[in-house]
Amino acid sequence: MNVELARMLPPRVLFGPQRPVDTGVGSPPRFTTLLLLAALAVLLQVTFGQAWTLRGAHISLMTVLVVWTGLRCGPTTGGWLGLLGGVLEDALGGGGANVLALTIVGFLSGLLSSRFFADSLTAVVASVAGGTIARNAITYAVLEVAYGDRGSYHRIAHATAWEVVLNCAFSALVVLALRWWSDRRPAGA
Amino acid sequence: MVEIHPFWDERKLLVFVALIIVAAGIAVIEIDAAKHGRQSAIDVVVSAVYTPAQTGLTRVVNAVTTSVNDVLHSGQYATENQALQDKVDRLAAANERLQTDAAENRELRRLLEMKQTLPGDALVADVVGYVPEATRREVTIDRGSRDGVHRDSVVVGGEGLVGHVLSTGPHEARVLLLIDPQSAVPAYLQRSRTWGIVTGTWLHAKMKYIDQNARLQQGETVVTGHGEIYPSGIVIGRVREIDRKDNALYQTAVLEPAVDFRSLVHVLVYTSQ
Repeated sequence: MNVELARMLPPRVLFGPQRPVDTGVGSPPRFTTLLLLAALAVLLQVTFGQAWTLRGAHISLMTVLVVWTGLRCGPTTGGWLGLLGGVLEDALGGGGANVLALTIVGFLSGLLSSRFFADSLTAVVASVAGGTIARNAITYAVLEVAYGDRGSYHRIAHATAWEVVLNCAFSALVVLALRWWSDRRPAGA
Repeated sequence: MVEIHPFWDERKLLVFVALIIVAAGIAVIEIDAAKHGRQSAIDVVVSAVYTPAQTGLTRVVNAVTTSVNDVLHSGQYATENQALQDKVDRLAAANERLQTDAAENRELRRLLEMKQTLPGDALVADVVGYVPEATRREVTIDRGSRDGVHRDSVVVGGEGLVGHVLSTGPHEARVLLLIDPQSAVPAYLQRSRTWGIVTGTWLHAKMKYIDQNARLQQGETVVTGHGEIYPSGIVIGRVREIDRKDNALYQTAVLEPAVDFRSLVHVLVYTSQ
């Protein structure tokens, strides 16, 4: 069989290689690990999200995770994780806006993976900022189109501004923590 | 040969389209369910998994938070506890004072009512002392001759007769109590109108010289009769026991005084009759 044709056939085309593409130093996490992290992120958000607010906005752990996954593992993994994370969020009260938004954000972040290293602080923070804005813009569009929720622009815009700040701060901490962890590990581990 | 990875190649486009189709399909399902006010199958499954996890996590975090708070604020709690204890002590003392004031208020109110029922001028006096030896039943009050108190002034409490003034100084007076054996008060039984003389027995009083033919009843009220010292109608007490002998000339009744002489604080002294 033609090698190129074999690569094009599902499921490898749709779901990518068994292990996500390594775009940085070290081995990227398994998809099941990422999925567990996504489930944990949703659990933390639905349980404590209201307690960790700043001017009406709260950290979106899922957005940070999806953007980072996209940068680290590529568009396929980022897109699928965004889709499944969005399904979880919508099932717990998103109303259908999250699944589209996170899928697109995850995929678009993955497109940047060939341009930047996932452990670049600037790249991650900037991507998280862009991802947060894109996600909330799509959410706004869905609310407007599907629900006819007029006047939600100002509310979402205000929350988005503070959410960008929180998400960027959190993602910066995560990157620094990962770097520290990576430096502590013995070479070759 | 170097492999070129374009930003958008066919494979990525295919993945993107597939993802968008799946996501849009799920979004439509979720939007439809939300618009109709029901849960989709996905919602039901995810909620069934997440709700117990949420409950467990919340309990664990609450327990940990409470424990940490308790440890961190133990010093503060001790201080607050001490402050609250002090406050309780102060409030208890204030409550005690209020109860005392209320009792005093009730007593003064009764004195006022008594003053209104009897003729003549009267003033309120406080009991400030007792006789040093238990040889007599007397008290000292803080009103004397300068206040208009004179020998034989009648002294009453809120419930009834206390006694009369034996002697006066400028600012104090000695009062012979009704229960002193030296006291002799003309009195009559309110119901049967039978006369007698009430005298003290140290702790109680007794009514002597009651007509042998009079029919006494326990609990009957005894009041003062009009005499040289006492006006008529002041309550003395109630009949507790009746001592009647067939071969005697008179019968005697043991009385329970209306006034509690163990807790005399305020009295009313009649300065004119």
